[in-house]
Amino acid sequence: MITAESMNELKEFIREDLVMAGENEAHPFGNSGHAVVYPESEEDISAILKYANTKGLTITVMGGGTKRGYGGLTETTDILLSLERHRGIVEHTPGDMTLTVKAGTPFKELQDYLAKHKQKISLDPFWPEQATIGGIIAANESGPKRLGYGSARDAVIGLRTVYPDGKVIRSGGKVVKNVAGYDMNKLFIGSMGTLGVVSEVTVKLRPLPKCESLVLVSFPEGHQDKIQPFAVKVLDSMIEPVSLELLNPTLADRLTGQKNYTLVLSFEDVESSVQYQENFIKNILPEGTELKIVSKEEADVFWKKFYHHIPNGAAEITSETEASLKVGSVNLKVLQILKNSELLQDQFNVSVEAHGGLGHGLSQIHIRGAGKDVAAAVTEAREIAEKEGGYAVLKHLPFKLRKEVDVWGKSPSYFFLLQGIKATVDPKKTLNPNRFVGGI
Amino acid sequence: MKVKVKDLKTKDKHIKNLAAIVGGARSILYQETDLLAYDCDGFTIHKHLPKAVVFPKNTQEVAEIVKYCSKNELPFLARGAGTGLSGGAIPLNGEIIISMVKMKKLLSVDLENRRAVVEPGFVNLKLTNSISDKGYYYAPDPSSQSCCTIGGNVAENAGGAHCLKYGVTTNHILGLEVVMPNGEIIEIGQDGIPDAPGYDLLGLITGSEGTLGIVTKITVRILKNPEGKQTVLAYFDSVEDGSQAVSDIISAGIVPAALEMMDKIAIEGVESAAFPVGHPKDIEAVLLIEVDGIAAGINEQIEQILEVCRSRNVREVRAAKNEAERARWWANRKTGFGAMGAISPDYLVQDGVIPRSKLPEVLRKINQISVESGLRIANIFHAGDGNLHPLVLFDSRVSGESEKALEAGSLCLKACADVGGTITGEHGVGIEKREEMRFVFTEEEIAAQTEIREVFNPDNLLNAGKLFPSPSRCVEIKQEMKTQAIS
Ligand SMILES: Cc1cc2nc3c(=O)[nH]c(=O)nc-3n(C[C@H](O)[C@H](O)[C@H](O)COP(=O)(O)OP(=O)(O)OC[C@H]3O[C@@H](n4cnc5c(N)ncnc54)[C@H](O)[C@@H]3O)c2cc1C
Repeated sequence: MITAESMNELKEFIREDLVMAGENEAHPFGNSGHAVVYPESEEDISAILKYANTKGLTITVMGGGTKRGYGGLTETTDILLSLERHRGIVEHTPGDMTLTVKAGTPFKELQDYLAKHKQKISLDPFWPEQATIGGIIAANESGPKRLGYGSARDAVIGLRTVYPDGKVIRSGGKVVKNVAGYDMNKLFIGSMGTLGVVSEVTVKLRPLPKCESLVLVSFPEGHQDKIQPFAVKVLDSMIEPVSLELLNPTLADRLTGQKNYTLVLSFEDVESSVQYQENFIKNILPEGTELKIVSKEEADVFWKKFYHHIPNGAAEITSETEASLKVGSVNLKVLQILKNSELLQDQFNVSVEAHGGLGHGLSQIHIRGAGKDVAAAVTEAREIAEKEGGYAVLKHLPFKLRKEVDVWGKSPSYFFLLQGIKATVDPKKTLNPNRFVGGI
Repeated sequence: MKVKVKDLKTKDKHIKNLAAIVGGARSILYQETDLLAYDCDGFTIHKHLPKAVVFPKNTQEVAEIVKYCSKNELPFLARGAGTGLSGGAIPLNGEIIISMVKMKKLLSVDLENRRAVVEPGFVNLKLTNSISDKGYYYAPDPSSQSCCTIGGNVAENAGGAHCLKYGVTTNHILGLEVVMPNGEIIEIGQDGIPDAPGYDLLGLITGSEGTLGIVTKITVRILKNPEGKQTVLAYFDSVEDGSQAVSDIISAGIVPAALEMMDKIAIEGVESAAFPVGHPKDIEAVLLIEVDGIAAGINEQIEQILEVCRSRNVREVRAAKNEAERARWWANRKTGFGAMGAISPDYLVQDGVIPRSKLPEVLRKINQISVESGLRIANIFHAGDGNLHPLVLFDSRVSGESEKALEAGSLCLKACADVGGTITGEHGVGIEKREEMRFVFTEEEIAAQTEIREVFNPDNLLNAGKLFPSPSRCVEIKQEMKTQAIS
């Protein structure tokens, strides 16, 4: 437990105004700290970790806080380490198409900067203004365009990670191909900050597409049986959509004003190719469905709404309880998972917004309602996922409910390896204790 | 079946017991004449005889072999086709080699969900050949793809010419079944479902060079064939111009499927070998650039590429007239390493990676290394992702020349590391580049990796002595202290 004395000790090596007392009241999403520290450099991070590790203090790591509701069974650890002041671009080499950046940099800031060089990071996370690159990587967050561009593990080529004992370990490097030693980058991506604090990230970039297009295909009541054959036809064709994301009717209503299952296809390429693909879709459109080729302005509005529709751990607290699940399944099972989760609405008197990628197998289900109803619906949603052979992780839930409903589900058979890795890297469980699978 | 064990011409109880596990004398090699074929892989400078080679037919047999080895403290390792170029499959410690070549089935293909399940001994190119009639393929395409195994590809995280656009092996692995060094069987990424909760062991095991476990089943992602493909060939009178063209193409926002370069000596080699295509002998660099994707968009990009090359003083540039010509160009390139045999008794392949923008600088440096060592160095490389393959030409019959070649190779890697690059892009560290790991990692960083190995392979019986430099005293002492602290 942190004391006034430790606060003072912290201030001996961290500038005084970067060390503060934590909030008095418990935060509804937990993952708080009795003290809050805002390191401005890797040296700061290293010094804080080393101090905490030696003193047996625990640390919660936070970027923009959008994922504050994602895992964690400790309401308040000793120190909340906020990376919001550890930000900025370290190196951008446009000719090499690589970017090195401090972990606390908000994603949108990076994309806006890169756009001036006609480049981008090929990730499409939620809440990009607040979500930091470090947090996106630690939580392995991905969006619909994962189909075309992959996820964090495909984009990250190098990391600098501060270990709990304060040492800085580099993994990967600044080149796009690298098999020197173990691929340690992979360990930290998706590790929820339980192994080390990522301080710097190097990603490979992509050129901004010359032309982008958004095509919506909606399937009114009575035509839903056409979704699967249509998706299969698209996937088996020569066209290359970067997203093939299915929206459930409630979410489609919010984003498009039409309460039908809707497929979101996006194309990014040179203009002639994009047009060709739009026409291809027009030509294979099933009877009774509606196609809309969305104008540039409308598409911008659509995506903006899309990337801001999910519960956000950094937003104002509402009276409603919100939950989010990330569901993994075999690609085409996404359809069944969305359909079954639709039934939760009446069954539990909750609202369910859901979307999933028919080409990448990840769905997200967002449930809103009264606390008890949400808890019951979430448990049922996991059963839906498991019945289809998949898994469900609760990527957003208030702290109170996290103690009732297991965030990560069953531990894998090889859990001993995960434990072994944690015990090797963070033997004292200094970082994000109990934030991850099986209480890691 | 077990009767056959009696046919063994040995008294060694381990050989007998292992033979019993794999079902008889025909599934084990143990006589020196037979073992000679297994004393090295594609890295031929280091040789060591294994104790035996066993050929399991299924996961269960692999697990039993491993359990047996582990119980009896016999070192062991897995071997695929033995085409590795860094010595990963060399039995440094007289290992029991577990050959995966009999586990070579294509277990299932699921086109709708774009995945296939293979046994580790399944040959890379066979996968594409098995699904190409349906319009699908497996993307990672090492030049050795007609013989290397997918298990070996996973171990080395193999790349290939088309990895510029589509990524290397790790970007295409969805699931693995692994026999752990204690014989336990684990399954990661069940059914190929992405992002299984927990640390990304798929990503960690891929590229671990067979030191963390033995892969016995692999779920891979398969892709739909691109609708169109076009390849451009460009000849340059200076390497600088060629490199600059590479940068310009990338800067123009084009993502080529492949972007390959060969220099003058490499051209001499490929033109003297089995697949000459008539490259002029006096040019300094040839670029092979491929664009694929939606057919409607390809011409525009090809025009742009031709334009870029012209603006960089290209001597001649043209697109392939037809598929036959395109195939000839690629055969010429893909057999490039072997082609060095036509102009030199021996050659050593290196595998450095650099930031693309440093290409001219590093090529100059490599030239200097060649001059200073007195050995010719050819360059064949994946220019698009900065992955260089300097080929050091030498004659092992000349005393001292092998050592000189190794030294020159190492200097090439140093040159890559010095400009912010790395020592291997796809061939792995193996035995060859153990010491060079220090060019890119600190002792602490190397220790962070060996500590992870200990979680998987605590007794270090599986493929020991690979990947990492021999620990310096200080690290050993630190580890000792740590063990004491924990116990
Ligand atoms: C002419 C030529 C061209 C080449 N071109 C390329 C290229 O373009 N790109 C590229 O990346 N590589 C290339 N290589 C290198 C080599 O082909 C690859 O590294 C390949 O992946 C090795 O596969 P293999 O089946 O031959 O494995 P092996 O050489 O038998 O083994 C390689 C390593 O993998 C381990 N291993 C094998 N099977 C398993 C298993 N089932 N489980 C765990 N560990 C295992 C072994 O212990 C060893 O450490 C080339 C090699 C040659 C000879």
